[in-house]
Amino acid sequence: MSKPRDVLDALHATIVGQDEVVEALVLAVIAGGHILLEGAPGVAKTLACRALAAAVGGVFRRVQFTPDLLPSDIVGTRIFDQKSGDFTTVLGPLFANVVLADEINRAPAKVQSALLEGMQERRVTIGPATHDLPAPFIVLATMNPYDTEGTYALPLAQLDRFLAKAVVAYPSLDEERTIVDRFGTGEPPLRANVATLDDVLRWQREAHDVFVDAKIRDYAVDLTRATRAADLVAHGASPRAALALVGLARARAYLEGRTFAVPDDVRDVAPAVLRHRISYDDRIAITGGDPEDVVRRIIASVPAP
Amino acid sequence: MSLGRAALGLAFAALLTTAAHAASLRTLHVDALSMRADRANVAVGEVFHLAIHIRVRENVAALDELVVPDVGTMKLEGDERHVTSSPAGTDVVETLTLEPTAAGAFTFKGAYLDAVDARTRKPSRFSANPVRVVVGAGAPVTPTMFAPVWRLMLGIILAGSLLLAAVVAPIAVLTMRQRRAPPVVTVPPPVAPAQPPRTPRDDVADALRAYRTAPATSSLMRLRGALFVAAGVNAGATLRDALAATPDRALHAALITAERTAFGPAHERDTSSAELIGATETWLSAALVPSGR
Repeated sequence: MSKPRDVLDALHATIVGQDEVVEALVLAVIAGGHILLEGAPGVAKTLACRALAAAVGGVFRRVQFTPDLLPSDIVGTRIFDQKSGDFTTVLGPLFANVVLADEINRAPAKVQSALLEGMQERRVTIGPATHDLPAPFIVLATMNPYDTEGTYALPLAQLDRFLAKAVVAYPSLDEERTIVDRFGTGEPPLRANVATLDDVLRWQREAHDVFVDAKIRDYAVDLTRATRAADLVAHGASPRAALALVGLARARAYLEGRTFAVPDDVRDVAPAVLRHRISYDDRIAITGGDPEDVVRRIIASVPAP
Repeated sequence: MSLGRAALGLAFAALLTTAAHAASLRTLHVDALSMRADRANVAVGEVFHLAIHIRVRENVAALDELVVPDVGTMKLEGDERHVTSSPAGTDVVETLTLEPTAAGAFTFKGAYLDAVDARTRKPSRFSANPVRVVVGAGAPVTPTMFAPVWRLMLGIILAGSLLLAAVVAPIAVLTMRQRRAPPVVTVPPPVAPAQPPRTPRDDVADALRAYRTAPATSSLMRLRGALFVAAGVNAGATLRDALAATPDRALHAALITAERTAFGPAHERDTSSAELIGATETWLSAALVPSGR
């Protein structure tokens, strides 16, 4: 029986640095949520997703989101079979255990909605029939914040469906040297099947039983509410953020081998949970402020229990 | 007729007094008010603690409305009040240190607090449970067969002393009158030795004592907070901050068990609580050893 830490080690064997991103991916798997990765091109966003999919086994599908993509391209469609004289359903790439939605903001709103509906409901409707998506079902979406021309920004309500958003930063000098050494002669093989899908489902069940004290719950709620009264914030986080904080705190406690969550769990996952759930007012663009600083200030303003 | 008017006037005055009293009361959401003694049976001269715990949902700096019970003939050795406030509410633990001076069963009436109940918006008196303590006599004196002899000898000694005093006292008075009265010298009051400043260790020791007396959530959080301060971080920090702030292994152990006790499941509370007390005592005793040894 594998442990989540085995997957963490497998990812670290492939990805150089990016500790926060790697941990966020594993936590999302344990919590059974979807994750959004944002970063410049070439910082290993896609590689991290592929490494995770390989490590947990199961069916992996990658969808490159483009402006001409249609909802049926990801969900599936019904095709008329001339031989049988009947319609047959062809399931789309969403029917996989790990789905990589590459550059999610390049597809139009209709496609994004189809994907996000599947993420939320964990089932899709094709023609007259409704189909359950496989379990576990994890969507890893990537987004490039720079080439925004011709992109379709995700509205706040849809971003809220992602349990967490990890920011993939540029590597440090030493990390970049290691990347050149490690990947200079081609991509190293990914560590495959470190855990099974049954392992993942078991982790999700066991993490759900992690004890969360009322003080921890209150801390998560206080953090969420603090986003609504913070300076430079137009709209704060929804109650779904408090749920995500508690869910990811449970996952983190489970990853650490604890049966109860502590304030550190909530504080550590708070940036990933809150950053994409806040919309900022115009002053931040005018003053050139950093949204990450606003999130950090909000977290620092709420005393841990 | 005039009697009726007087009664009406008195009733009106009472009503005005009650209304004025109610207007001066704070609106509070009282979640708990309890009282307990750390020992149910004590002997005369033996010190015990009576702890009163009140929790309100409001974040207040103090709860001066809390009225502690009359301790009767018992000697009040100490009275400590600790307030823990947070946005989630306020906990007050008042610990009375008492020494019985007489034997018998003693029932402390419940401590109480007058406030406007936030639930009903009416002036109310919140009372704690009464606490009964049985005070036994000290070690009894065993009567012996020599008691009459002792009593006789005591009488002789007393009579002799009185006779001696009657002879010596006039002589002493005469001698003193013949001497000149010495000049009056005003002696400055002795300067009290400076109290050593309180250290975080003292706060941990106090918090541990309070936690032992009343192992409630508030006293637990107070002990955890005192350990955090001892590590060098303030309230609002997390365990990782505290562990990073000190290299002290014994303090690390106490901090980790405090975290487990504070946030672990209730069914593990007794075990972790005992471990917390043990780990804190270990650190306290280790902290007494001067550094460099």
